[in-house]
Amino acid sequence: MEGDHSETRGKVGDQVMQNPQALAALQDRLDSVSHTPSTIESLPKSVKRRVNALKHLQVRCAHIEAKFYEEVHELERKYAALYQPLFDKRRDVLSGAVEPTDEECDWHSDREEEEELAEELKKKAAVEEKKEEPVVEEDPKGIPEFWLTIFRSVDMLSDLLLEHDEPILKHLQDIKVKFSEPGQPMSFTLEFHFEPNNFFKNTVLTKVYKMKSEPDPAEPFSFEGPEIVDCEGCDIDWNKGKDVTVKTIKKKQKHKGRGTVRTIIKQVPNDSFFNFFNPIKVSSDGELDEDSEFTLATDFEIGHFFRERIVPRAVLYFTGEALEDDESFEEEDLEEGEEEDHEDDGDEEEGDFDPKA
Amino acid sequence: MADIDNKDQADLDPADMEDVEEVEEEETGEDVNSKARQLTAQMMQNPQILAALQERLDGLVGSPSGYMESLPKIVKRRVNALKNLQVKCAHIEAKFYEEVHELERKYAALYQPLFDKRSDIVKAMYEPTDEECEWKADEEEELTVSKQEEMKEKAKVEEEKRDEEKEDPKGIPEFWLTVFKNVDLLSDMLQEHDEPLLKHLQDIKVKFSDPGQPMSFTLEFYFETNDFFTNQVLTKTYKMRSEPDETDPFSFDGPEIMGCTGCQIDWTKGKNITLKTIKKKQKHKGRGTVRMVTKTVPNDSFFNFFSPPEVPESGELDEDSGAILAADFEIGHFLRERIVPRAVLYFTGEAIEDDDDDYDEEGEEADDEEGEEEADEENDPDYDPKKDVQAECKQQ
Repeated sequence: MEGDHSETRGKVGDQVMQNPQALAALQDRLDSVSHTPSTIESLPKSVKRRVNALKHLQVRCAHIEAKFYEEVHELERKYAALYQPLFDKRRDVLSGAVEPTDEECDWHSDREEEEELAEELKKKAAVEEKKEEPVVEEDPKGIPEFWLTIFRSVDMLSDLLLEHDEPILKHLQDIKVKFSEPGQPMSFTLEFHFEPNNFFKNTVLTKVYKMKSEPDPAEPFSFEGPEIVDCEGCDIDWNKGKDVTVKTIKKKQKHKGRGTVRTIIKQVPNDSFFNFFNPIKVSSDGELDEDSEFTLATDFEIGHFFRERIVPRAVLYFTGEALEDDESFEEEDLEEGEEEDHEDDGDEEEGDFDPKA
Repeated sequence: MADIDNKDQADLDPADMEDVEEVEEEETGEDVNSKARQLTAQMMQNPQILAALQERLDGLVGSPSGYMESLPKIVKRRVNALKNLQVKCAHIEAKFYEEVHELERKYAALYQPLFDKRSDIVKAMYEPTDEECEWKADEEEELTVSKQEEMKEKAKVEEEKRDEEKEDPKGIPEFWLTVFKNVDLLSDMLQEHDEPLLKHLQDIKVKFSDPGQPMSFTLEFYFETNDFFTNQVLTKTYKMRSEPDETDPFSFDGPEIMGCTGCQIDWTKGKNITLKTIKKKQKHKGRGTVRMVTKTVPNDSFFNFFSPPEVPESGELDEDSGAILAADFEIGHFLRERIVPRAVLYFTGEAIEDDDDDYDEEGEEADDEEGEEEADEENDPDYDPKKDVQAECKQQ
């Protein structure tokens, strides 16, 4: 009887191979299968059944994994408290509030010795010159422009930095990471601490990143640990005329009918790092246009980068040592994603007149 | 009619707004900058200036501390204080990772019952109930099936019924072998002669080092009784470095695999697929006589995974061994992090699509250079079989 089966199959097979529609359908099927290496569809039903049982077990694993990540988060909170005294000391040193002792500044490195030698030579050569130059330099307090330098050195951050942001960022004294408490929905907050300044009254600007820490019931296997899904900024209490996130433009308008011309003044958004504290809100249905999605995705990446790399290792970004490490990863990023050219002048394109603006 | 100059948007009659067209715009407060911009534009067109700029930039590349050198000594001093604080952070970080490792050990015990159940189903020691096998995705798939496919499905179902009447497959046959075949990283190691052996692989477990022990994890490969070797379990232990390197504390980024040990395989006589015998014709240089020599040489096989290259005392490895070890560490890590925890998704292929998305192809390293040379082994008295091991693997 087996012979009969295979013969019939053979005949049908021949017919199928001669029928273009059938061939097309087959091709479709093959194309869709080529990404599924193991031909699950060809498995006997009894085996497929057991595979499904394994998938159920896998969903249960995903839920255990979620609890694992919650505990990791708690561990991170616990260790944040252990790092904090060191970060507080860092802030005190760079702000000039505390002068470290010689012992605390002892750093052994060959480079240092070379630098010292070089400096000795320079000093000797410059002795004459120095006598002529008036002493201009003040005694610099702490480490001037510490955080601003980091912003300038790190591509991801310098991309956000505009010239008019720099005077403000000179007043940035510390960036802290705070973790959500047990029992609260998982999140972390970046706190930007500023010394008193002419630009705004706040002493702290905050950005909260909310995370999803449970598998999605519709797609339990895509769960890979907590993921940033939303963020919230804060209101900046700008002093009058100091808001760098807006600019005034003059527009000349011609009345189509009457032909008269008038000039109006408008306030439009201005590019600035400080828009970081006014992020796009994810709408209730979760739908965003492509540009907004990209902007938000970049924002999440930056938040993550602040938390994981910048705040914990700030001095290494200041000196540039960490940049060499990160470089290889950053380059991969650029290759993957689409490089979108964000036109600053989007609002001022012709024909963009919006009476409601 | 008079111009309505400099009116604030808020004061204007909305009705007026409708019939206007824009003629011209200028930004306020930007006049000061426009001159600077003009100047810059001019400069950028001067080739000499561009060249000088480029030179300056080149000088800075690769020496980020160029900026550092220009800092006043008193500030550099404080930066060094921060670096010392950073070293302390690195040591606290090491303790953090130790605790994460303990957490992983704790959760390994929570996953284990689920993995044991998986193993029982694969081995046909446990038949899951209908309820345990219900998977909604199947229903959805059936709804979207077209008429043509419906007919195909019907034909298939009948075929399957006939298949099932013929043989009743136990458990999930060739479960782990299929996983190996589906994952590039593993299939690269897989040789044809490994497959009959891997059909006997029943489970892979991950065990974590105990508290107080140096950090490590062990992969245990459980085999059912077979003709090839007598071991029931083959093991591979990966040792990790979990402390910052004193000479380079800032390179510490969490525990890192830095060594591994395999195990002894008790091969049944004649069944050791990690060796092969070759016959060599050798010609005596002086006398011109020819003789046949039988040699046993290493054979490419997945099972070489259990005898990895040893790192010598000096810590220096030749390039080949270095590459093999690096690939080995990657595989050990991948088995632990992805394969064992999510095996069924690699069996079905679902996880492979995910992994592809995460990793971009970085271009393949050209290690085919040695592979294509087909030297006359038989007549070459200098023939070194070890060099050919990698080459042979490409040829198969």
